[in-house]
Amino acid sequence: MTGVPQRRPAEVVSARWDGVQIRYPFAAAAAVGPVSLDLYRGERLLLLGPSGSGKSTLLQALTGVIPASIDATVSGGASVGGRPARSRPPWGWVGEVAQLFQDAEQTLCGFRVADEIAFSLENRGLPAETIRDRVARAMRRAGVPAAWARRRTATLSGGEKQIVAVAAVLAQDAPILVADEPTAHLAPAVAARLTDLLLDRSEDRTVLVVDHRLDGLIGAIDRVAVLGEAGRLIATGPPGPLFRAEGDRLEGQGIWTPLASRLDRALSAAGLAPEEPPLTVSGLVDHLAVMGPPRRRAAAWHLSRALAPPVSQPPLRPGEVCVRLDGVACAPPFGPVVLRDIDLAARRGEVLGLLGPNGVGKSTLGLCLAGLLRPKAGRRHGPVGAVAFQNPEHHFSQDSARAELTDHLRRAGSASIEAAVQALDRWGLAGAADQHPFTLSQGQKRRLALACLTVSDRWPLLVLDEPTAGLDARGAAAMACTVRRLAHAGRAVAIITHELDVALAVCDRVVILADGGVLAQGRPADLLVRADLLAQAGLAPPAAAPVLCWLQRQEAQRC
Amino acid sequence: MLSALHPLPKLAVCLAWIVAAIAVFDPAFQLAIIGLAVFLLVAVERRSLLLVVGLMVPFALFGFGFLTTAVLFRQPDADALRVAGTAAVAAPALTAGLTLFFRAIACGMVSAVFVLTTDPGDLVKALMAQLRLPPRIGFALLSALALVPDLGREVQQIRMARALRRGRAPGRLMSPVELFAILIPLLAYAIRRAGRSALAMEARGLAPAAPRTILDAPVIRRRDGVFALGGSGLLVAIVLGTIDASG
Repeated sequence: MTGVPQRRPAEVVSARWDGVQIRYPFAAAAAVGPVSLDLYRGERLLLLGPSGSGKSTLLQALTGVIPASIDATVSGGASVGGRPARSRPPWGWVGEVAQLFQDAEQTLCGFRVADEIAFSLENRGLPAETIRDRVARAMRRAGVPAAWARRRTATLSGGEKQIVAVAAVLAQDAPILVADEPTAHLAPAVAARLTDLLLDRSEDRTVLVVDHRLDGLIGAIDRVAVLGEAGRLIATGPPGPLFRAEGDRLEGQGIWTPLASRLDRALSAAGLAPEEPPLTVSGLVDHLAVMGPPRRRAAAWHLSRALAPPVSQPPLRPGEVCVRLDGVACAPPFGPVVLRDIDLAARRGEVLGLLGPNGVGKSTLGLCLAGLLRPKAGRRHGPVGAVAFQNPEHHFSQDSARAELTDHLRRAGSASIEAAVQALDRWGLAGAADQHPFTLSQGQKRRLALACLTVSDRWPLLVLDEPTAGLDARGAAAMACTVRRLAHAGRAVAIITHELDVALAVCDRVVILADGGVLAQGRPADLLVRADLLAQAGLAPPAAAPVLCWLQRQEAQRC
Repeated sequence: MLSALHPLPKLAVCLAWIVAAIAVFDPAFQLAIIGLAVFLLVAVERRSLLLVVGLMVPFALFGFGFLTTAVLFRQPDADALRVAGTAAVAAPALTAGLTLFFRAIACGMVSAVFVLTTDPGDLVKALMAQLRLPPRIGFALLSALALVPDLGREVQQIRMARALRRGRAPGRLMSPVELFAILIPLLAYAIRRAGRSALAMEARGLAPAAPRTILDAPVIRRRDGVFALGGSGLLVAIVLGTIDASG
């Protein structure tokens, strides 16, 4: 895969932001803008930016949700198909724009699954037969089981809700699709399938997507637009050349770049990069395969160094058992048992990864491990731990980010204002210290929740449920560093994640869950390159897998 | 069986039974309604007896208030302890108290029959399709109905978050203090949830007055007519029987 767009989009503007600047009430500065950006017909545009840069705000202005339904001062103007967004109420754009919001609960209305998917089509007054056909097709394509049709969306897991939300916007069949973090809570295999669906070239559709899991989707992207920390456009262009030229600057601002691009830049610095910037790690490995032995050895050295910070962690020697589950059966509140006969130990000084497909019961197991949910059978031994909930809002009870941290410190027996300020700084929240937690962006909320749980040494065990969902690169790096620091300080840490590259980088041991139990456990470097095992668990190999395998082969040849 | 019926005739029949339970002042009549409701839920709808008895508890507590008021506070100028101490609980007062007690349970159980056998989505669709309920009101109603079970899940989540802050596992039972403490966050959740649902509906095209399709709205069938006639006929027969028995 190269950086050349797969299809040159027609130069017809489907949507336009013309000098749009948005400021929320009582905010000291604009949330985003001024931004001028065109979305061309048939184009696949990726919008990137650090968390809090105003990406979601910009998307919500397209159909006038801001300011019609969410109060804000908007200057400049957005338009769809040449018509100003303000010329219709937000609901008037349902035939032109399908919106998948960052939070699935903001896309779904709380009905039964089939009713959710049919909702926008009913609102457009389409014939019942057409709606039935489209609903059935969307469910089939998105992989929504027919048995879910009469289930209420509130009874689904976070990832399952996300799948239904994607099915709902696909069924809408609008010519413009705007998707804000469509794969944030999805297992890799499902995320890849849904990304393919959303960006499907056979559909005559214009797509604007905001996502930070770039490795699976970047090959289908025509153009990238990047918002900087100040909420203004700082770069735009085809992905390959843009990431090669601007990648270091973007990473400096906490913006994700694809792994292939990071490795490409490492090779570029040594004069070993391919002519065309690769967008996938497999593409890069193809290039390595045609190199002569001396260049291959040099490339291996540079790639190992480039992978070193996230992937090659020296293993810690785990300490004593902190929490142990013996023959435990786990069930979510008011739900049936989802996992049985679980024997699991979380050790001090160890980072444990809990992996598995959506709905397998990872979050439920995390709650049982932390002692916040009683097992239905079996026994749990050990002190109560803390959980960073999948929805960070559950952590907040104070009226500012600073107050949240000082409250956690006070409960831990410390009233240090300085420690709160340092934590805000460490997690990049200094500018949002006095903001109400519920007004923060999703990434900022997640960082604040993680900051609260890690600001003191109160809990011997920390369970982090999808800690990187919605985080920018800087937040994810801070999370990884904090997790390693906590483990080195003798705390037990468990991470529930769908991002296998995160598990590969941070975890000492991973447990793969599938079919109501433990499928396998062991070292990430051993398990996460086994495609058969991962496929059995509905997972996909991490993006780094091809280059890790290539490096292992080089090592073997040298030996 | 009842679950397969159209919600609106079922609602009409249930309302008729509730009105009768209020209008007919006879403990035997109220007991007959309670017995029939329990029979329908346990034998026909295969609901657990424990669930049905559990559902009676709040209505029984409510009815117990009527019973004690009717029995102990029947004399305006006498205190309750003295009236109770006489042990001469007058038969008419006791009968009236028991009737009020059973009436509260009877009304509650008829409501339970309707709620436990009716899908809220089908009810709202039927109201929109057959009674022209405006969609905005219909979906607001549906969101509110959907919120009720979600509040239970949210309560668990808030309890876990509180337990986490306090550094100990949540107890099996909620204390009154804890219940009071989670009311505000629960209210905040309900408001946030309502706001998000409203945004979602607007973004997905729910317009105030535009015509919309209602997919799979319940259709009135022959069996609904049979149920309406049977339910009304049985009610009339029991009412007449009660009047006849009481002379």
